[in-house]
Amino acid sequence: MTQTAPANPLEMVAYNLSRQIEDNQIVYIGTGIPMVGALLAKKTHAPNITMVFESGGQDPLEGDMPWSVGCPFTYRKSPMSMEMAASFGQCSLGYVDIAFQGGAQIDMYGNVNTSVIGSYEQVKSLLPGSGGGNDIGSLTDRSVLVGLQSPERFPEKVDFITTPGYLDGGDSREKAGLMGGPVAVVTQSGIFDFEPESKRMRLVAMNPGMTVEMAQMATGFELLVADNLQEIEAPSTDILEILRNDVDPRGVFISF
Amino acid sequence: MSFLFATEAQFQRLVDFEGARRHHLEKDRTKKDKRMPLPEAVDRFVQDGDILAETGFSYVRAPLQAYYEIMRQGKKDLVGIGSPMSNCSFFMSTGCMHSIHQSYIGVEMRGNDKSFSRIIKNKKAEILSVWSHGSMAQGFKAAQLGAPFIASRQLLGTDIISNNPYVKVIDNPVGNDNRPVCLIPALFPDVCIIHVQKADRYGNAVIEGPAINDLALSAACRKVIITAEKIVSEQAIRENSAASIPFWYVDAVVEMPYGALPGCCPGHYYWAREWWEELVRIATPDEEKLKQYFKHWIYDSKDQYEFIEKLGGIRFLDEARRQMEAAQLFIDDSLVSFDYEEVKPS
Repeated sequence: MTQTAPANPLEMVAYNLSRQIEDNQIVYIGTGIPMVGALLAKKTHAPNITMVFESGGQDPLEGDMPWSVGCPFTYRKSPMSMEMAASFGQCSLGYVDIAFQGGAQIDMYGNVNTSVIGSYEQVKSLLPGSGGGNDIGSLTDRSVLVGLQSPERFPEKVDFITTPGYLDGGDSREKAGLMGGPVAVVTQSGIFDFEPESKRMRLVAMNPGMTVEMAQMATGFELLVADNLQEIEAPSTDILEILRNDVDPRGVFISF
Repeated sequence: MSFLFATEAQFQRLVDFEGARRHHLEKDRTKKDKRMPLPEAVDRFVQDGDILAETGFSYVRAPLQAYYEIMRQGKKDLVGIGSPMSNCSFFMSTGCMHSIHQSYIGVEMRGNDKSFSRIIKNKKAEILSVWSHGSMAQGFKAAQLGAPFIASRQLLGTDIISNNPYVKVIDNPVGNDNRPVCLIPALFPDVCIIHVQKADRYGNAVIEGPAINDLALSAACRKVIITAEKIVSEQAIRENSAASIPFWYVDAVVEMPYGALPGCCPGHYYWAREWWEELVRIATPDEEKLKQYFKHWIYDSKDQYEFIEKLGGIRFLDEARRQMEAAQLFIDDSLVSFDYEEVKPS
């Protein structure tokens, strides 16, 4: 009998993302590892979720990994598709439970940068831009951020706030007029939330083999650590096999 | 305001509600046969200095072959806008465009567009305003609704809003939640080209699959060119009340099978994935390679048929057709393979 290789860090990210989803939710999906997480959820503990996409596809039938958020797999036999304005409108309107966001930089208050490292006047590294990121982050009740941590990618303050997290912390997000907010960050370290008063990023669960020191070393600001820090149980062989054989068989997003 | 490339007139015209309304009032409403070849449509209706809105989803039902004709005709001083707007990078690198209102430029998981990066870093083009997809969609939707602006809660608190001179923030004057809202003005690009699956000779056009921003853009833009996979009879469109776009919004109709290649077109053909990967991963990092890439594919191709020959002719088209049918589950997708040789950066 062949041994199933243990989950690699990307697979743990996909698994932890999938665990953020509850069955029957309406889930807003982008490309990349968020899609892997959602598809894994659908094939495991949350078979009745409804997936909605930025390009307008609503509740498509399951198929191959979409090649883009506009891929035909995102509107595969969809009962209907929405125009872009309506597609984001339903986040504001209260019809989307959870959305996922990646970003080049994520700071201690969960603000995300997908616009520019440096500034538009003095560009160090130009990124594609908000796309639907700002809309999702501004309007969705609960968003989950995902990123591979390093001190550069997780700085104290992002160079450019593309997608709002808790802005300057405290009640600054609410004061700005925004709704909802990020509830978790999933990285190779484990899972973070945001401390309710300060809104600072806080480690709440660690992946197997990770330590608080390792998580802190991969972060460019002082991490808060939850009193009841959990250790995440590695995914079962069944789940890993679904992830590797069904969800991302070509290993596009889950292999190094 | 001062700009590197754009004019004050171009900047103001985007939000000129009264001007757009007057233009629409004066537009010829005659129900006439508006069919013409692509070169004529581009020559007559895309003018130097136009604000050009991208349509479709950049590589999904996007009028790419028409964009390449714009490049071949050497149109200049265009201003780009759209959600998304990945082709504006190529308008910029071919010298057609030096100013954009930016929401997203890139090919998602294919990699970052290094050409766009280089152009902005070297100040060969400028970003006039920064947006998100949803806020720009609101702007086009406001125009379609005939509203001066739409109030929204996107963009608040972010650096996008401080890099967007068009959007204003006020305290919400209605209802119980009087926290700030942002006001997104109605947006009026000069011209858009919309690729549809079916249109009649008058311009009634049918969009299949996600409309993205095209319903709003067809109403907002001063000039609208329709490129259609198929021209059908007016009766066929009347039969099902099928039109997404009414003929009086439309200035020109071009019969344009395969007009969305090398992107995909719902109901017709899948992407040429290797083409995009080659472009983004191999060509965009190197200015000379990019020039050669566009010379081969765009400047040395007369029309979409020559383009298709270079993609692999009928063999390519056959596969692309079946892949789209399978992706949309019009046929059993276990009959079709999506395997391909991924183009990796060297």
